[in-house]
Amino acid sequence: MGSNTLDKAKSPALAALLSSAVLLPAYQSAQADAPPESSEIGFRYGKYQEDAVAGGDTLSGEKSGRYDIDVAQFNLIVPVGDSWSVGLTGQWESMSGASPWFSVYGADGQQKVIMSGASIEDHRAEYGVEARYFHEEGNIGFNYVNSKEDDYHSDSIGADASLNSADGLRTYSLALSTSVDKITPTRGVAPTNTLKADKDIHSIWMGVSQIINDRSIFNLGLGYTQRQGYLTDPYKYRDNRPDNREELVLSGGYRHFFDDQNGALQADYRYFIDSWDVESHTLELAWVQNLNNDIQVTPFIRGYNQSQANFYSDVVVDTGGYYSDDHRLSSYSTVSYGLRLKKNFGPWRVSATAERYESAEGGWRYSQVPNKALVDFWGYSLGFTYNF
Amino acid sequence: MKYAFKAMGGPCVFRIKARSEHIAYDHAQAAHEEVLRLERRYSRYREDSITSTINASAGKNSVSIDEETYRLLNYADTAFKVSGGLFDLTSGVLRRCWDFRSQTLPNQDEVERTLTRVGWAGVRFSKGEVFLPDIGMEIDFGGVVKEYAVDAALALLKKREVEGALVDLAGDIGAFSNDPGTPWDIGIKHPRSPEKAVATVQLANSALASSGDYERCIVIGDRRYSHILNPKTGWPTNNAPLAVSILAPNCLVAGSSATIAMLMHSSAARAWLSELGIPWLLVDSDLNTYGTLAGI
Amino acid sequence: MKNSLFVLSIIALTGCQTVEPWERGILAKEEMQWQASTMEARFRQQMFNSKEASSGTSGAAGGGCGCN
Repeated sequence: MGSNTLDKAKSPALAALLSSAVLLPAYQSAQADAPPESSEIGFRYGKYQEDAVAGGDTLSGEKSGRYDIDVAQFNLIVPVGDSWSVGLTGQWESMSGASPWFSVYGADGQQKVIMSGASIEDHRAEYGVEARYFHEEGNIGFNYVNSKEDDYHSDSIGADASLNSADGLRTYSLALSTSVDKITPTRGVAPTNTLKADKDIHSIWMGVSQIINDRSIFNLGLGYTQRQGYLTDPYKYRDNRPDNREELVLSGGYRHFFDDQNGALQADYRYFIDSWDVESHTLELAWVQNLNNDIQVTPFIRGYNQSQANFYSDVVVDTGGYYSDDHRLSSYSTVSYGLRLKKNFGPWRVSATAERYESAEGGWRYSQVPNKALVDFWGYSLGFTYNF
Repeated sequence: MKYAFKAMGGPCVFRIKARSEHIAYDHAQAAHEEVLRLERRYSRYREDSITSTINASAGKNSVSIDEETYRLLNYADTAFKVSGGLFDLTSGVLRRCWDFRSQTLPNQDEVERTLTRVGWAGVRFSKGEVFLPDIGMEIDFGGVVKEYAVDAALALLKKREVEGALVDLAGDIGAFSNDPGTPWDIGIKHPRSPEKAVATVQLANSALASSGDYERCIVIGDRRYSHILNPKTGWPTNNAPLAVSILAPNCLVAGSSATIAMLMHSSAARAWLSELGIPWLLVDSDLNTYGTLAGI
Repeated sequence: MKNSLFVLSIIALTGCQTVEPWERGILAKEEMQWQASTMEARFRQQMFNSKEASSGTSGAAGGGCGCN
């Protein structure tokens, strides 16, 4: 921009004037925390579709369709007075399909998956409410979420707080939550011996977000979660997991805006490790491209890589102790990639996303022999928000 | 959308880019209220303004003030020091000696007597109160409140998360735009031919303030007497610039810098502005243009 | 691995400049936020959490579901 740009090396006179001006109330208000200026209501519909398990990988030799989930979401946030906001969320899911029941070795010595037979059908309804208080230096929120489905009931409460530093360039955050879950497995298509079980989850998270300059920002986070109670999967034929699981998460994120391209780079990384010896790395990258004032296109990619739980094996033999053949506890990598589109129509904002997720066959650090039940899927969603 | 009204002694306009017309209108109304609030509070023409209260108590007692007023006085003090005494909020009283409509020069005795009532150095202020030591002394916030109002209105619009906004209060302008590809294009008008632009400027997140004696001045023979009076002499500075425009991070600093430059000899003003380090434009009495904004 | 994350954060912190309130317009844009659409983020996180052994992003773990 040539001579019209504001030179960062200021003359003493200019520096004196600017620092005196910045003390005035008009220049201070940009840093105080405040509830949103308008209310917002939103709806979203999503579909999750797993690829079938190939005929060669099932014991029966037949291809088996897998899980399908339809999700409807609702979100409402309303400012109340000068310092409060209240939010309501709802989510309804309809799940159907088959999932892996257990694995054995076939005549060819390879792992064969036995699916759970005819379709399961399940519905889940979740409601949440949140209240948030805004003050000069930050905000505090409280939330309660209730989730119910035929065989699972969860109640959780949480609180979070964030604090801005005096210069407004850094924000510290803390979040706590506790949930109490009750499982009453239905004696449906996948036989189960469990009648009733409980589990509790406690979690804490701390983070800091720092403005680097007027175009970039980064964050670091640390989280700890403890799960206690019945953690076994009641629908698997041979599955017995410890009644305790501790998890640690380290995360980092970065955002940078590029003026010339009128777009932003988003990068997020997460490291996970737990007491079952599962260790994972997740890296997400996205490029948000603004087209004109109203349209945004975002291609994105996600890489994930996990090691197996110490009691996992792809075919289980019950020798006492802990065991599971759940492919989700095996060692594998995945890549997903997708595209998101957003368009504004005045106070309406519409967005659509499609994402393809594939479990990689091998070649990554943790991969051993990939579990035949590893899943590939498509995820689609379409939603809108309206400001009023 | 465009929202026009009258305040601060001239025509005012907000231009707002927001998601919907009616949300933009709500924001414009709120910003308008803020401008009126400042006008009511600091106008010397209103009896209920803090200015009138302070001036009525000059030489008698101190007046209690709020945080905003204290910070404005503090800013005026900084500008006084930075300008070597040229920026002086107590110089308003000198207008009583000058009659720009009659095109006659003032009585020198009158000017000298009035000068005894000018002197920012004598003003006592602290976080909670201000005191003008002599009867007849006056504070005139006119030198800061219009530019501060531009910044206050813009800050309010920024807090409301609009996509972009431009605030124009009778020629002092502040703007921001969240889209770096579409800044606001402003033309700086020529001091003698207002329909012509002497320079154009792009505002993405900054302010443009101008000072000039476009209309009010006294011309006798080939000497021009600007209405911007030097607080040390009571007269306009010899060979002062015709007009100065400055681009700064906020309008308050832009405006006071422009006022300070108008109180110097054109050549001294050019050196001072150049040293200040922000984009500037100066037109001297021979209609020559100088500065980093010239010729754009 | 943990050491490099620590070092990276120190480097980044020492490079910070002052950003005045009037310069923050770009940082307020939606694409510069940590989480843009809450509903979509929740949908995606639930998809991943139910297919992978890891969970957690920013904020404490919320309630459970029988996600299979």
